[in-house]
Amino acid sequence: MISVTDLHKSFGKVEVLKGMSCEIAASEVVCLIGPSGSGKSTFLRCLNLLESITAGTVIINGHNLGDPKLDKITVRKDVGMVFQQFNLFPHLKVLDNIMLAPLKVGKKDRLATEQKALELLEKVGLSDKADAYPSALSGGQQQRVAIARALAMDPAVMLFDEPTSALDPETVGDVLEVMKRLAEEGMTMVVVSHEMGFAREVADRVIFIDEGLIVEEGKPTEMFDNPRHERTRAFLRRVS
Amino acid sequence: MTWYLGDLIPYLPLILQGLWVSIYVSVASFLAGSALGLVAYRAKAGGSPALRRMSSAYIEVIRNVPLLVVLYLIYFGLGQFGINLDPLWSTLIALTINNGAYVAEILRAGFDSVPGGLREAAQALGMSSRQTFRYVVFVPGIRKVFPALTNQFILLFLFSSVASVIALPELTNALMTVNSNTLRTFEVFTVGALLYYAVSSVLAVGSRVGEKRLFRW
Amino acid sequence: MGDLLTYLPPLARGAWMTIILCLIVGVAGSILGFVIGLARASSIGVLRWVSAIYTNFLRGIPLLIILLFTYFALPLLIPGADFSQLMSGAIGLTLFVSAYIAEVVRGAIESVPRGQYEAAEALGLGFFNKFRYVIVPQAMRVMVPPWVGILLAMIKDSSLVSVIGFVDLTQAGKIVGTTTMQPLWAFVVVGAVYFFICYPLGRFGRWYEKRLSISLARPPDTLQILMPAVTGLLEHEPPELPESPESPRDAGGTT
Repeated sequence: MISVTDLHKSFGKVEVLKGMSCEIAASEVVCLIGPSGSGKSTFLRCLNLLESITAGTVIINGHNLGDPKLDKITVRKDVGMVFQQFNLFPHLKVLDNIMLAPLKVGKKDRLATEQKALELLEKVGLSDKADAYPSALSGGQQQRVAIARALAMDPAVMLFDEPTSALDPETVGDVLEVMKRLAEEGMTMVVVSHEMGFAREVADRVIFIDEGLIVEEGKPTEMFDNPRHERTRAFLRRVS
Repeated sequence: MTWYLGDLIPYLPLILQGLWVSIYVSVASFLAGSALGLVAYRAKAGGSPALRRMSSAYIEVIRNVPLLVVLYLIYFGLGQFGINLDPLWSTLIALTINNGAYVAEILRAGFDSVPGGLREAAQALGMSSRQTFRYVVFVPGIRKVFPALTNQFILLFLFSSVASVIALPELTNALMTVNSNTLRTFEVFTVGALLYYAVSSVLAVGSRVGEKRLFRW
Repeated sequence: MGDLLTYLPPLARGAWMTIILCLIVGVAGSILGFVIGLARASSIGVLRWVSAIYTNFLRGIPLLIILLFTYFALPLLIPGADFSQLMSGAIGLTLFVSAYIAEVVRGAIESVPRGQYEAAEALGLGFFNKFRYVIVPQAMRVMVPPWVGILLAMIKDSSLVSVIGFVDLTQAGKIVGTTTMQPLWAFVVVGAVYFFICYPLGRFGRWYEKRLSISLARPPDTLQILMPAVTGLLEHEPPELPESPESPRDAGGTT
């Protein structure tokens, strides 16, 4: 589903991603962990071209992101993203937030879209909030709406950029529940997160990134219980 | 010195007619000017380099030249080329051009302040930059500068009085006529000032109410 | 176009008159505005109330009306008075400008956190010392950018004084334009002069504002959010503008 080969990304003269390679299969749930500034978010943002690629090859659901003729919009229709700050559109009701992209980008039929949006809302447990504005929702609720919004486009891959980092501890659980169910349904997910519990329980693979490179990767049990590299061990010690 | 409003009464229709002209000239110019301002903003924010330069030049020139000079340029200056616009059209054009430059900058402040995250979310969902602007940036941006925009309208209304010098029959012009006919200078201009003040106060209050009503989120 | 060169002297004289007028009004208006601003911010109810009427009224009516009033009506109040055009123009423009400056001063004083007053009092500073050494210096830094903005607008607003016959730059342009029958060139020159006076001042104001934003280095509290708003909009009046992430700049205005 996702194939990354020797990915380099520089901002001006500063190289942030220094040659990362990995493969992510369909329906796999991969967690990216690592210290701040290691490049995890940048890596994620390269996957839907929110950041451009400086060098290397990234192929996601058949789209070659390095192809200059590739329309970014085509990729983004296939790749959904959930942000740390939710980024719900404040002037639109919850339902409209979810329906906006399918209607304007996907050019779908209004009734069908509304139907689907309501189903998605139910899936994330917020059916009663369809007519509310984001400002009336708690952080956890907003994030769940954000997940529904991204799902409305029927993406092949879902990217999560520290989805629970901005939430109060009480609401974190609700969001992780939704993500867990999504994983169980077979969605391909790439998650940047500090929630080690989630990684251990839900992830198929954990990738430890440091200073723009993949240091180690493996199954959660391997990574957390028997890390091979010293840097991985040092990081895990710091966050536990 | 005696104060006597009685002499003014026969001129009340003229004064009110003048007020009406002031109002509709302001409204028309504000609407046209804001549309122009939006265009100028879009040109400056994302057009070709030539468009960006033209737009910046327009905005900078108008914001640094007095309205009266622009008005004279249009009313008298164009006459040199044989284009003789009447006071009404000259006023409308001058006020529109003037308003556009200020609105463009107000809009810029508003749209630029919309958090980047919203734009990214829109892009991540597959929206083009035009769609992003229209559906995600525009309304929140307008909301942020709504007080500034309504204030701009009030300013425009007050400065429409400048058109009196080219004999547009708006409120100030009417007041000057009444003054020369009745010589009740003090009364005339006090009444005039109060009329302007009443309208601008109503607009200011209306703006606050309007903001709450329009932007319930 | 050649004739125009011989008409440069009258235009230059007009420009000079504009400069003189603006200097007078700049100084007088700022002093008056500062005093009224202090009154606006004071804790004495009557002072606040009266100055509020002053500022709200003067900002709610056209400058032209104020000028017409001071030229035609005011002399009637003072028996035997005969104001020159320069004088009435200066008085009217000063009153107008002072109202806006007063509001800026008030906003700046009110933006100084309560804690500063308390700290000053706790240190034993009396009323005048408190203001002089603690409050006003802090208020000054907030005040300067919008104050520059008002003065800039005043230079353009001064063109209205031509309406009562004062031969400033605008009026000179009108006279030259009619005499030479080339009003287009006359007013283009006039516009250019205004532009070359105002544009550099505007750039300076924005540069100063940027410097101020950097040097203050406070957490994003009301002050920082207000600042671009206060500078930005304040050619005439500041409802709050949000902070613009790129270059905060002047926004609304008319002249």
